[in-house]
Amino acid sequence: MDKKQMELLQGTLDMLILKAVSLGPLHGYGILLRIQQISKDRLEIQQGSLYPALYRLEHQGWISSEWGESENKRKAKYYRLTAAGRRKLQTEAEKWNRMADVIAGILQSTPEEV
Amino acid sequence: MRSWSRLRSWLRAALRRSRMERDMDAELRLHIEAFAEDLVHSGVPREEAWRRARIEFGGLERAKEECRDALALRLVDHVARDLRFGLRLLIKNPGFTTAAVIALALGIGADTAMYSIVNGALSWDFGLENRDRIVMVNSVDRGRSQEWGASYPDFRDFRTQVKSLAGLAAYQLTAVNLSDHSALPERYYCVQMSANGFSVVQQKPMLGRDFIAEDERPGAPAVIILAYHVWRDRYAQDPAILGKTVRVDEVPRVVISVMPPGRRFPEDTDLWVPLVPDATLERRNARGLMLFGRLRDRMSLESARLEFRALAERLAVQYPDANKDITAEVRPIVEISGLYYIKPLFFALFGAVGFVLLIACADVANMLLARAGERAREVSIRVAIGAGRVPIIRQLLLESVVLSIAGGFLGWLVAVGGLRWFDRGMGSTAKPLWLHLSLDRNALIYLAAISVGTGILFGLAPALRLAKTDVNAALKDGGSGMSGSKFGLRLSSLLVTFQMALCVVLLAGAGLMIRSAVKLYSAPIGVNISQVLTMRIHLPEKKYAPPESWRAFHENLQKRLSALPGVASASVASQLPFGGWTTLSFELEGRKNDEVQLPETGGLVVGNNYFQTMQVQPQHGRVFTDSDGLAGTPIVVVNQSFAEKYWPGEEPLGKRLRVKEEQILGPWLTVVGVVPDILQNFRHHLQHDPLIYLPFAEQPARRVFLIARTQVPPTTLANAFRSEVQRLDENLALDDVRSLEERVAESRLTVSLFGAICTVFAGVATVLAAIGLYAVNAHAVSQRTREIGLHMAMGASRSDVARLVFGQGIRPLAPGVAIGLLLALGVTRLLRVVLVGVSPSDPLTFVGIVLVLTIAAALGCAVPARRAMKVDPMVALRYE
Repeated sequence: MDKKQMELLQGTLDMLILKAVSLGPLHGYGILLRIQQISKDRLEIQQGSLYPALYRLEHQGWISSEWGESENKRKAKYYRLTAAGRRKLQTEAEKWNRMADVIAGILQSTPEEV
Repeated sequence: MRSWSRLRSWLRAALRRSRMERDMDAELRLHIEAFAEDLVHSGVPREEAWRRARIEFGGLERAKEECRDALALRLVDHVARDLRFGLRLLIKNPGFTTAAVIALALGIGADTAMYSIVNGALSWDFGLENRDRIVMVNSVDRGRSQEWGASYPDFRDFRTQVKSLAGLAAYQLTAVNLSDHSALPERYYCVQMSANGFSVVQQKPMLGRDFIAEDERPGAPAVIILAYHVWRDRYAQDPAILGKTVRVDEVPRVVISVMPPGRRFPEDTDLWVPLVPDATLERRNARGLMLFGRLRDRMSLESARLEFRALAERLAVQYPDANKDITAEVRPIVEISGLYYIKPLFFALFGAVGFVLLIACADVANMLLARAGERAREVSIRVAIGAGRVPIIRQLLLESVVLSIAGGFLGWLVAVGGLRWFDRGMGSTAKPLWLHLSLDRNALIYLAAISVGTGILFGLAPALRLAKTDVNAALKDGGSGMSGSKFGLRLSSLLVTFQMALCVVLLAGAGLMIRSAVKLYSAPIGVNISQVLTMRIHLPEKKYAPPESWRAFHENLQKRLSALPGVASASVASQLPFGGWTTLSFELEGRKNDEVQLPETGGLVVGNNYFQTMQVQPQHGRVFTDSDGLAGTPIVVVNQSFAEKYWPGEEPLGKRLRVKEEQILGPWLTVVGVVPDILQNFRHHLQHDPLIYLPFAEQPARRVFLIARTQVPPTTLANAFRSEVQRLDENLALDDVRSLEERVAESRLTVSLFGAICTVFAGVATVLAAIGLYAVNAHAVSQRTREIGLHMAMGASRSDVARLVFGQGIRPLAPGVAIGLLLALGVTRLLRVVLVGVSPSDPLTFVGIVLVLTIAAALGCAVPARRAMKVDPMVALRYE
């Protein structure tokens, strides 16, 4: 845990959660692990803020939940992506990529170009 | 779609709140537990692992709160909290709560009851599925601007030529004796209708077949269709009735079908028979038929109007003798019904209850405004510690909605009770089909809507005012903090002015109705109506063809009836008091008359001892006697109005007149007596009309009323009368058997019932307005205790103080009355239909209502003024 971690950008947690559950149903802790695993522990996620985000996403119909059994035989609430959520993830990802391109373009510009 | 899923998720969370909370707790704990386990697996000691897991997760309660926010559950929590708070406050102030809830219940209840009646009436479908496409066609005489039905030949021509209608049918309404062996003979309404009638209104019998064209050919086998209620009540729903023969006015007819329940078009009839043209009907100038048709799809009323005008034009050219100046008018069916004519009344009543409700709202608003002073401190503290304006307004509005919903629940009882009272008030009168005296689903929705709506209406002003409280002032002077105190008082007196104005309008309506009722009930009818039994009888044409047989039947019957124990005398009359007359053309001997257009007068045919039976003494000459009859000179009796109109200052006795009926002049009739006026006009109950009385012996009629003066309560004799009639003819029905007193009461029902309703409304409104004035003044006095104390300390006497308070309190009266009078003058016009002998702007009434309202207002101000007098200056000044 001594590796340098970055704080999440505002509004990106939702997208990461959608991405995480798009690969298969997960419970809350599983989502946290999945994001850390994909990001190779480079992102810092406030654990307490994960659940309000999950509730909000479910409230908006992008993910759905049901109670199931976890790997170590415990009852756990599993989240999965809904069809609406899949579309949302797609548009969000596209928007993110476009934004990243634009920002990168701006930052890479040299004095001569301006 | 997304908002739908959000609503679903919200509802799930809100409705299964405890389960949702449990799940959330389990889920979060599981997370921490799993995290700690992982740490233990990676070698961290168990205790340290749990500690770190909890720290990393952060505040558990905060996370939960944020989760609830995400589900938009916070609003629910707050509303629930506000509701609890509001209820506690209302329970803590039982006096205020009771007064407000009762005021609201009266307003909401009356409004709902009236809505239920008006809505039922206006949405009444006449037993038609397509009432908006059904039109009536009438003939209009342009020369005399009179309106009639149509003749059969005209109908036939219209029917074959019309393009804008999908069908045109004709009918006429009759009353018939229905007799068979299933029960006693009964009298029913029967519509003679062209065979296409049901197909025009797109209805089918529920049993049996519709009329077919064959049924209306002269000489076809006679058939009849029953309404559902006749089949149910007379034939006990026996399906075997189809194909049986019944006697309808002595004509045997085969029952071919039964109509479904609620289908009684036209005229809410009981029976239908085919309209078979005969010699009388075939006359082109006999315009006794009513025509109805269904507009073809995509055809407008206007196009039908134009077409019928053109068709009538063509007939006028073709048949100038009968159809000159006759044109046709097409109207929607709703404009033909009696309902259409009393519609302004409905709106007047609905407006009246609306006013009562508004007055109640203003009352409660005023009470809330008065309380606002007491609440200002509480609100200020909440604002000072960071509450927003919106939550405060929300909470205050919720409180008033709680109040109005409580009022609504009680109002529901008021509405049900009010409708019951109305039902009882109508007594045994046959209720029109459109009258609904129970609360249906629409009425309940309306009740719920106005309950919530009034809460917001009367709560808004006080809530907005409180939310504007000046926090500093309120906390500093420790008192009311009414920085807007002046504004509040002004608002209060504005509300009171408004109440006064509405109250004047209601009182005006009630006053006019009461005056009408007094005039009506104090007017002498001209006959002694107590202990008189009346009933209708009709001798069917088939069995009683020659007029001699009618005379013989009634002579015989009268003898039998007079011999019954308890009967003093019996007679017949063509019409009863308040029952109208027959219009007759006549000419006076020795006068030059316009040959084409003879003068018209009302005429009644009465039995020889009618006047004795009714206990009427002649003014001059004599009335009919038993010896008057076919032999001797034909005679006539006229009433006072007739004598005064046609022989002013002359001796009417011995004068002669003759009646023209169906183009034939009758013999000269000699006037043998003048009787005092008897009220006979069924529309204008106080009007004295010129009338002539013809003896039944000379002018016998098939349909008459039997009249008997009894020595016992009249209706106890009904069965004895029935069996006497049946002894003479077992197929004859007696109909409409009632005491004359009951009939007269019924003819006055509109005025008495409507007057009672108006009076109740106005009474409630006046009490509410007085309470409103009282509330405002009482509040003002309690606010100004110190000031009053100061006045007294400076030497003002108690009566000075009382005068001051009273003078300021009564101030809204004058502008309120002024505005109200202006409004009332406009509104009372709507009442014109039911007013009797009173003009809608009757000055006496208006003076009276100003007086009533002034007294009520004075009472509302006097109580606080008295309280102000009792203020002890020492206590008031120390009171800080």
